[in-house]
Amino acid sequence: MRDILRVDMSTGAISKEPVSAGWARYGGRALTSAIVFKEVPAKADPLGAENKIVFAPGLLGGTSAPNGGRLSVGTKSPLTGGLKESNAGGQAAHALGRLGIAAIVVEGKPVDPSARYMLVIEADGSAKLERVDAWAGMGNYALADAIKATRPADDRYATITIGPAGEMMLKAAGVAVSDPKNYPNRFAGRGGTGAVMGSKGLKAIVVSDKGLAYTEHADKEAFTAAVKKFANALNTHAVTGTALPTYGTNVLANIINEAGGYPTRNFSSGQFEGVEKISGETMREVTLERGGNVKHGCHTGCVIQCSRYWVDKDGHYKTKGVEYENVWSLGADCGIDDLDAIAELDRTCSDLGLDTIEMGATLAVYMDSGKIAFGDGAAALAALKEVGTGSDLGKMIGSGAEVTGKALGVAHIPVVKHQALPAYDPRPIQGIGVTYATSTQGADHTAGYSITANVLAVGGTVDPLKPDGQAALSQGLQIATGMLDALGLCIFVAFAVLDLPEAFEAIHEMAEAHTGLKWDADALMQLGKETLTYERLFNDHAGFTPADDRLPAFFYTVALPPHDAVFTVTDEDLDSVYSFVPETAAALGIS
Amino acid sequence: MKVDVVLFATLAKYQPDGAGGRHPRTFDLAEGATIGDVIAMLGLPDEPRVIFVNSRHADEGDALSEGDRLAIFPPVAGG
Repeated sequence: MRDILRVDMSTGAISKEPVSAGWARYGGRALTSAIVFKEVPAKADPLGAENKIVFAPGLLGGTSAPNGGRLSVGTKSPLTGGLKESNAGGQAAHALGRLGIAAIVVEGKPVDPSARYMLVIEADGSAKLERVDAWAGMGNYALADAIKATRPADDRYATITIGPAGEMMLKAAGVAVSDPKNYPNRFAGRGGTGAVMGSKGLKAIVVSDKGLAYTEHADKEAFTAAVKKFANALNTHAVTGTALPTYGTNVLANIINEAGGYPTRNFSSGQFEGVEKISGETMREVTLERGGNVKHGCHTGCVIQCSRYWVDKDGHYKTKGVEYENVWSLGADCGIDDLDAIAELDRTCSDLGLDTIEMGATLAVYMDSGKIAFGDGAAALAALKEVGTGSDLGKMIGSGAEVTGKALGVAHIPVVKHQALPAYDPRPIQGIGVTYATSTQGADHTAGYSITANVLAVGGTVDPLKPDGQAALSQGLQIATGMLDALGLCIFVAFAVLDLPEAFEAIHEMAEAHTGLKWDADALMQLGKETLTYERLFNDHAGFTPADDRLPAFFYTVALPPHDAVFTVTDEDLDSVYSFVPETAAALGIS
Repeated sequence: MKVDVVLFATLAKYQPDGAGGRHPRTFDLAEGATIGDVIAMLGLPDEPRVIFVNSRHADEGDALSEGDRLAIFPPVAGG
């Protein structure tokens, strides 16, 4: 039995209800998107009482499924205006799963906007709201210490928190999730989820799972066998078994740069002359020299182990091993080639509770305006720290790349549906451009990671410089990603799943053994389609049109060196990506 | 003909000078030499790899030309 925990911030009432029978296959993104679709009016004010924010472990959350600990955060986005799902690793998803909680739905809004609350869920399943007004304005790291002081010394718990950016309801504010050492460094960063949490006066959620075992399965023996098969596949594949654990996600810097798709200085070049100084290989070497950790999982049950910690010159923890996207956004996109400067920016984003991709893109746009120089790490840090002060400059920066670029008259603002593009230029890597343009999420690489076949030769090959085949590639990946996000699996498992048939089989075998329902390849893809259909229909109701499924004009007209490429996928191809929605919606009985 | 060769991640240690690192080394190759010839010369392991010549994907059978930059990666991914 899985329950939905409903928390009404208007009244303080907390209640539990079972997940409806029709949603027995839904977890993670499928559940958050279905709930937001059903319960939030598409025209709702994202920061008003009508909006809700939903936290859900995947269907396999709370089990020993390898890499099954992603937490989905769903809401109507104050940044995109559409249905948002942003997911994070960390410990919270498994804790909720072990408690039998399929989702926390936070709704309403407290009368007193200065009130701050912490939702505490104990291992016995009880839940209460506590006033924590004294914590107003606290950064995520100080908040982690303050929460720790409220817990028994032998407790095991996870946190979901916001920093001051969320409390100020800034559109770039994200939600932090604690890692296995209780550092608040894993983020459901994108789309302003932190602002919605802030609008509810909810500063923190604490979930204790002390003493709780993994959740039970319909068929334990079959589940154990499928887990073993899945783990073997992840350990066997060269990417998930070797490259990611050795170098972390930033192993990508050199290959994306080599392909000419590494956006540099606000998307004005596809190669960064300073890439070697900030590459994954260099990060590993420097971290080892300083005595830092270069291999661990961001959540219990991860077998890939791509996480690491960045330590300062004295060997002290500074921030998580900065991920590829963030080394890029706070580094190459800003013309900064110093890993310590990048780590300081990353730490500041984590502490203030800001999306690192949006912030790097915003600082790059700010640099492009001429207010500060490209490459000036100290000036970038000073501008970023303004967000914490609540100054006009800080509020502009904290509102993201589009607000900043428009305010300062910047010509090239790299956003789709108001959300900043991640670390791959869509001109020389056209498949990712299709995902950026059409995703329900706004520009989001994780929504359909076409880099696989376009650059990495994973799951086949599609020429990145040509438009042919990109729409079909992106569509397949977007559907598959919806499925992985619904199950709570880290999308990095896809690198093995795309190449090894047994890895894909193991997923539906785990789902079947866990739930007792019949699962096969078609059921997995159907889950992905249903997830995307809720999102797409919600966005239609919110007012999105095909014109919103396009890249900014400059990607079609301004050639990017070194390939002198422009984006050439046709509008007709872009409009074909969501062609499955009417049929899926009809089968679901929704419109 | 002269060709710059750069090796990344776990392959960097196969540079003949043994110094590792991701900076290019220049090799003097016979006219018509292929990428496969360079791979054999370096003794790269017989495992999947991703190859670029002048920032475009290339195959092991492709011939190299004067001034080319050849970059070879093991399978990598992230995001």
